[in-house]
Amino acid sequence: MELAILVLLLVFFGLLLLNVPISFCIGLATLATILLSVDFMPAVTTMAQRMAGGINSFALLAIPFFILSGLIMGRGGIAKRLIECAMALIGMLPGGLALVNVVSCMFFGAISGSAVAATSAIGSFMLPEMKKQGYDVNYSAAVTAAAATTGMLIPPSNILIVYAIASGGVSIAALFIAGYLPGILLGIALMIVCAGYARIKGYPVGARLPLKLVVQKVAAAIPSLFMIFLVIGGIISGIFTATEAGAIAVVYSLILAVGIYREVKTSELPAVLMKAAETTAIVMALIATSSAMSWILSYEQIPQAISAAMLTISDNPLLILLMINLILLLVGAFMDMTPAVLIFTPIFLPVAVELGMSPLHFGIMMVLNLSIGLVSPPVGSVLFVSCAIAKTRIEAIIKPLMPLYFAMFVVLMLVTYVPAISEWLPAQFGF
Amino acid sequence: QPQQEHLTLRLAHTLDQEHVVHKAMVLMGERLQHYSDGSMQVEIYSGGQLGNERELIELLQIGSLAMTKVSASSVESFVPQMRVFSVPYIFDNNAHLWRVLESETGQQLLLDLEPARLRGLGYYDAGSRSFYSTNTEINSPADLRGKKFRVLASQTAVRMVEALGGAATPVDWGELYTALQQGVVDGAENNPPSFYLSRHYELSKYYTMDEHTSVPDVLIVSLPVWQGLTARQQQWLQQAAEDSITYQRAAWAEASEQALAAVKAAGVKVIYPDKQPFRDAVKPFHQSLQQTEIGPVLEQIAALADEAEVSND
Amino acid sequence: MIKFIRLIDNALKWFLACLMAAIVLVVCWQVVSRFVLNAPSSITEELARTLLIWIGMIGAAFAYRTGVHLGLDILTQKFSPAGQRKIAAVLTAAVAAFAVAVMVIGGGNLVRLTYELNQMSAALDIKMAYIYLAIPISGVLIAFYGCCQLYALATNQNLPVVEGVH
Ligand code: NA
Ligand code: NA
Repeated sequence: MELAILVLLLVFFGLLLLNVPISFCIGLATLATILLSVDFMPAVTTMAQRMAGGINSFALLAIPFFILSGLIMGRGGIAKRLIECAMALIGMLPGGLALVNVVSCMFFGAISGSAVAATSAIGSFMLPEMKKQGYDVNYSAAVTAAAATTGMLIPPSNILIVYAIASGGVSIAALFIAGYLPGILLGIALMIVCAGYARIKGYPVGARLPLKLVVQKVAAAIPSLFMIFLVIGGIISGIFTATEAGAIAVVYSLILAVGIYREVKTSELPAVLMKAAETTAIVMALIATSSAMSWILSYEQIPQAISAAMLTISDNPLLILLMINLILLLVGAFMDMTPAVLIFTPIFLPVAVELGMSPLHFGIMMVLNLSIGLVSPPVGSVLFVSCAIAKTRIEAIIKPLMPLYFAMFVVLMLVTYVPAISEWLPAQFGF
Repeated sequence: QPQQEHLTLRLAHTLDQEHVVHKAMVLMGERLQHYSDGSMQVEIYSGGQLGNERELIELLQIGSLAMTKVSASSVESFVPQMRVFSVPYIFDNNAHLWRVLESETGQQLLLDLEPARLRGLGYYDAGSRSFYSTNTEINSPADLRGKKFRVLASQTAVRMVEALGGAATPVDWGELYTALQQGVVDGAENNPPSFYLSRHYELSKYYTMDEHTSVPDVLIVSLPVWQGLTARQQQWLQQAAEDSITYQRAAWAEASEQALAAVKAAGVKVIYPDKQPFRDAVKPFHQSLQQTEIGPVLEQIAALADEAEVSND
Repeated sequence: MIKFIRLIDNALKWFLACLMAAIVLVVCWQVVSRFVLNAPSSITEELARTLLIWIGMIGAAFAYRTGVHLGLDILTQKFSPAGQRKIAAVLTAAVAAFAVAVMVIGGGNLVRLTYELNQMSAALDIKMAYIYLAIPISGVLIAFYGCCQLYALATNQNLPVVEGVH
């Protein structure tokens, strides 16, 4: 077993450092490990089966749908209207545009399932605007990246769906509702940092708009924000499942972007579908190879060994939860969120449950923790996208990210040690 | 001397460790170790950590797993004859079911697994499946009409519910709790321990003991693994499996009663309907199956019921 | 050669777009059949999962082609251009080896087993082999693109950019 762990880690990190696509790092590390204990033919056949088996889930279907609707909304004038609405509401506060950026990301996160979609949709509008008003480009990129992670917790959320599957049956609807308060709390924490930063740097304050204009901007965003009621309301009231809600979101965003706002032409749709299929496939390739890795870990009984070891180190729940959080932060630095959830849920969830934590609470904690990983180097998809849009380098935005990391960490500790933040709201809905 | 070698058989299933079937398999491991004087043991992977039932059967075929325990309904995709168990009201009672399982017919069904590279070691009791509903009392097939019931994603299961008059809705087991809560489906069907352990009784306040199907669990070993054992090892394994089956049947009956008492205590109304209208409702379905590949098996099963009546008289 | 690569690229692009459109329609039909017609379809769930496997597998090959699989780039940029090309060649070969071993040989064996042992899917009642077929096909495509990349590296060229996706 020790040899298996060693081979797995060496191959994984070796390939990662050499710039091999992550799903292949995971796949090759798994292949090297499985060959230690299984003959070649059964080994590769089992891996192929695990790869297909990992994707073969109805709940996962929601992911391509939220990716597709996110793309349509990004191109269809929906992001623009959400930003204008946020601008009308809070643009006049200190650090106005940075705050608008955070709130827009939260709005966009509330109607789309992925942080990468939020980063590219909001970032491509907000970054040029912030630059115009004299904001530092690196700071703007940092704010966009950090704010986009709120969409991981604010439903709908693809990663919460992945967690629901990895945990073996926590209700997706319950997770979705549980994500609201921590997600909003995270957004508020980031806004506090932004306001403080703006005071120090003397960033401009936006003009207060006349009430009539405010009403007009908010009204323009209502059809977009209606998506929240359609998707989340539909799931909670039992009209459809989370997966079906995704398909409905696609149809609604199409009606909005093509029919009402008329910012997407039908001739552009094939390209949108191709892009959505490609993005979906990247996520699915990660899920496929992680499922294979998770299988060989279980086969070698490594999760049991790790959790037994953790529980012998200490029986203080506060300490073990801190330890789990620190390990996950480290994992998040190197690994994309999806494989991290799939591989580490079976390892840490039993420990957390042993300590009396509910699987719902643990899921929210884990997703919040790994959200920090999305914006921490060396591997962070949101960080990459934000840098690409801002045309800046990862090294350059680390410094402005520091106070934002701090805010995220504080929220993580709150969410970890105050179960009510995750559990109160779902309890109100009978979960 | 192969029996001197230390041999570990890896067994995976999808139940949690509190389940009586898991405990029965732990017992099997202990018995095997005892019979083989410590030279053979069973390593159990519970809770679906190595895959769902269909995938576990595949792993047996692939050769990376030695044994599994699955529902006979999961074997249907590999061995069509197993579909008989999903046909409603083919058994008069539990005694009839076990007479069939222990008869040549039941044993032949286990042998029918061999072309699929599997060997059946025996059946575990999985009780009878009955309907539960969130919003209506079900006293007769008429009460099923227009209601959506969750079924396994299998054509036989769909036809079974439709034959009884309900609208069959395939929903993943993991999503079922939420689907019941939200009203995506009006109910589902399962045996008492699953109804209880899944906590579906929190949402479904009516449990109608119509006992439409009795789908046993099947203990399976990979055929290449089985053929790789010496005759003595095969004997030990078969004996250990039979010990565990004997234990499980008694434990299941007890667990089933406890589950039923527990759901009653939780406020579920348990209804014992007149089964005749249900039996009448599926007659056309039975007739439509006569000409299919499972027709002869159904006849053999029916014949064993007649025997029982004669001996009872 | 370039022409052939472009042909494959285009075929994949349109195939994926069609699968994506199909999956939306299938799940929408599921909602309509259950909610509006009150006659829940028994095959949409499995059909949609099958489509997802195909999108995931074939799309993975396409995403490998367009080079957007997530990766990081801290070590390799310290090498000389020639050194970088050598490392790239070794790593491309490793990815191709994975595709051949796991996806083509392993996936192919899985297709063969499920075909010969006649495993049927539960709801659609088609051979599971047809569902699994996406794995070896994807493996062949990834290996093909890997070989193209190796050839390009050896001859100091770049593969053509895939158009119309971004
Ligand atoms: Na979201
Ligand atoms: Na990271």
